[in-house]
Amino acid sequence: MRVKIFRIIIIILFLIILIDLFYVQVIKGKYFFHLSVNNRIRVVPLEGLRGEIMDRNGNVLAKNRKAYDVMVVPQEIKDKEKLFQYLSDTLRVEKSYLEKKYAQKKYTPFAPVAVAEDVTREEAIKLEENRYRFSSLLVVESFNRVYPSAEVGSHVIGYVGKMSRSSIDQFKEYGYSPASIVGKTGVEEYYDSYLKGSVGGLQVEVDSRGRQVRLLSLKEPDDGQNITLTIDNLVQDISYEVIEQKRGSIIVMDMNNGEVLGMVSSPSFDPNALVSLRDKSKAAVLFRNPHSPLLNRSISGAFPPGSVFKIPVAISALANKKINANTTFECVGHHELGGTRFGCAHIHGAQNLIEAIAHSCNIYFYRLGLILGESRIQQHAKLLGLGRLTHIDLPYEKEGLVPSRKQRFLKKKQRWFAGDTLNLSIGQGDVLSTPLQLVRMMATVARDGKEVQPHVIKAIGGRDVKKYQFERKVPINTNVFDDVKTGLRSTVASYSGTANVLSFDDMIVAGKTGTAQSAPGKEHHAWFVGYTKGTKKEVAFSIFLEYGGSSQNATLVARQLLVRLRQEGII
Amino acid sequence: MRRDLVFKIWVYTILIIAIGLIALYSASYSNVRVSQKIFYDQLVCAAIGLVIMYFLGKVDYRRYYDIAYIFYIFNILLLLLVLLKGRHALGATRWIELGPISFQPSELTKLGAILMLGRYFSNRRPNLSFNFLSKAQMVWRDILIPFGLTLFSCFLIFKQPDLGTALLVLGIFCGMLFVSGIEYKYLFSIFGLFIAMLPIGWKFLKEYQKDRLLVFLNPNIDPLGTGYTIIQSKIAMGSGQLFGKGWLAGSQNQLNFLPERHTDFIFSVIGEEWGLIGTVFVLFCYFQLIYYSLHIASQVKDRFGMFVTIGVVTILTLQVVINIGMVMGLFPVVGLTLPFVSYGRSSFMIFIIMMGFLLNLSKRRKVF
Repeated sequence: MRVKIFRIIIIILFLIILIDLFYVQVIKGKYFFHLSVNNRIRVVPLEGLRGEIMDRNGNVLAKNRKAYDVMVVPQEIKDKEKLFQYLSDTLRVEKSYLEKKYAQKKYTPFAPVAVAEDVTREEAIKLEENRYRFSSLLVVESFNRVYPSAEVGSHVIGYVGKMSRSSIDQFKEYGYSPASIVGKTGVEEYYDSYLKGSVGGLQVEVDSRGRQVRLLSLKEPDDGQNITLTIDNLVQDISYEVIEQKRGSIIVMDMNNGEVLGMVSSPSFDPNALVSLRDKSKAAVLFRNPHSPLLNRSISGAFPPGSVFKIPVAISALANKKINANTTFECVGHHELGGTRFGCAHIHGAQNLIEAIAHSCNIYFYRLGLILGESRIQQHAKLLGLGRLTHIDLPYEKEGLVPSRKQRFLKKKQRWFAGDTLNLSIGQGDVLSTPLQLVRMMATVARDGKEVQPHVIKAIGGRDVKKYQFERKVPINTNVFDDVKTGLRSTVASYSGTANVLSFDDMIVAGKTGTAQSAPGKEHHAWFVGYTKGTKKEVAFSIFLEYGGSSQNATLVARQLLVRLRQEGII
Repeated sequence: MRRDLVFKIWVYTILIIAIGLIALYSASYSNVRVSQKIFYDQLVCAAIGLVIMYFLGKVDYRRYYDIAYIFYIFNILLLLLVLLKGRHALGATRWIELGPISFQPSELTKLGAILMLGRYFSNRRPNLSFNFLSKAQMVWRDILIPFGLTLFSCFLIFKQPDLGTALLVLGIFCGMLFVSGIEYKYLFSIFGLFIAMLPIGWKFLKEYQKDRLLVFLNPNIDPLGTGYTIIQSKIAMGSGQLFGKGWLAGSQNQLNFLPERHTDFIFSVIGEEWGLIGTVFVLFCYFQLIYYSLHIASQVKDRFGMFVTIGVVTILTLQVVINIGMVMGLFPVVGLTLPFVSYGRSSFMIFIIMMGFLLNLSKRRKVF
């Protein structure tokens, strides 16, 4: 009978298990018992080296420096008091601080816990000499991240730090451990998976004094990949230099392919201070600073664009064939609507579209706004990329906002009034945009509606990244842009233009100024967004000064920037 | 005799469940990684399970015959549903959520496959051929149809991916086919087919499954991952020696050396804390349960009852042997639970239902 054979097979299987149980638990039992009590298996994680970050010319923006970490193996601590007292004396750190750190980081008895990181070479040698007294002590070589350009452009590069305990569960499957170093913002965060080396490790058998008896196995870690950015260090230096004393952001982008050459935000922070584990106080100061130096104003700050928003309004009016370049309105200095006066900076008199852009005449655009209605303005603003993410390869990008009747109702339960249309047509009210959105819009206008993808990545591990090298035709009639471009050019070229200070003999610059009302009682935001034509590299750029007063201030900064860039032969 | 068998099934089931609870209590004792909640969870599960088992013992097992095919189709639908929108955990999609309850349809497949194959094989009438088909064709049809049906659900489980359960269901098929009295030449052709399929199957494995199999061959390839688990689990087993370190005193367990010790590796907790005495006793309990089940199978007149019992015996044996073998480094880590002992509600309840079936069968077999 088959059932009988079946029974025999089962009995044989059980016998095999039984014999193996006997073998492991009785014959080899002593050996395993020994392993579990006297001898220990210790796992020493080895991290691969994190990739370096370089600018487009090969200048290093982030690299690794050799450091020494002091580690303690929990299961081998004999006299905790004595050990920590000794460490505290040698490293000149509070004992309670070391103990707190130990308690926080301990997660398995056999995994070494780093109680002090980046100690000096002298301290490391001293500890190593005294190791015979404390078997649980380890001095391990590690690498620290260093950012040579410090404050300059730190928002783009970002910084690294220990993975937080709360996010470890989520990332465990992707090869992260509680000791992993991860990027926190900027390129360090966005491209973390490329920069990060893989984790390997040693499994060693150690004796009761912590000495290695034998190496059980080794898994070699792999180094991360180096990353090259489109950023030009020189552009960064210049940009930061001209904005350092102020608050705001500068972006310089190659308008023909979307490569971001420079992106700085001020006030800035020194990533080295955040990475340094010795001096936590510096980091705390950064986090508490009311001027929020950690905020990348270029992409994570959304501000009212002010008169820069007149560009999409003009485009909308032309595209809808409501006006042509010669349509003229009379500016008397103010516009009455429902008993409220909407003002203009000057009494401009009769203005055509070109003059209205050059002089940034509010009255002209109030009229356009009323002719168009808010939905058409909104439509073209969106087409030009406002109120939409640019999808630049940096984390924490803000979307901005182009207000509409529906959005206003859903958000605030308020109706839309004609006055709101007036505010919208000069970029006031609820409309918000990031500096990067405006730069991209300017590039799109300058290139007759061909939109590029802003990006900062050039190559990963030596291979060029092609992903962002594409352009998209914005569905707006091409010849609409000519009149707007004439207006933008005469903003600079005309003697009465608002950005006349930017007219150079040897370089064609065009653009639009903006003075946006900020919070009540505070200075206005100052904008200048423009582009250069026919230069070595045609760039679109933005100067944004948060609470910077009149747009004149922004144009002056722009002048400094362009002059320096020209001197250095970049544009 | 009849009462005697019922009594024995009750005794060994309860013994195994009790041992499981004791081990689970220890595995989660004052521990940050494995919460004590799972012990109480399993305790409630055990209480409910035993009540269900009692009532299932009163349900006529021939009812299972009626629903066998429908149940299998329903199960396949559930498996498809899991692949479409299941809950993700630990890199695999195995759970389905019905209101507050979440369960694994792949566990249900074990039961579904046993019932389906039981009905199919019990309907076989090899001697009633009127020579429309040659004998060989007849036999091939009898093998290939159930084989295809089984393979389909195996494939769905494999896609989740859950290699262990997929192979287990194939194992059930082999066990029941063997007992169906099929000639050896056909049996060995099927086995040959399996072996021929191995290299093809290898291509379909996920990276981590390949890793696990390679690590099984040499645990030192990956000392920090799966290899670490095997090494540590062996140390835990071995260090228990003859009498064990005592309850709640296993250092490998209590010091967090053992990963997954409340599910797949629970046996190493028993091994460390109770020593050879404990492990042999657990093995003995399983053996008794399996032995008396086989006893039922050999005496029962009804073919359906016999085949289902064989299926249950096969699955019990395979899971016990593979799980323990895995803990001792004899088998690759494929993620199979130890019946009634490992934490996991779906698995627990499926075995309860199987025991309920056996209870009823052992009561009624004199009817024939």
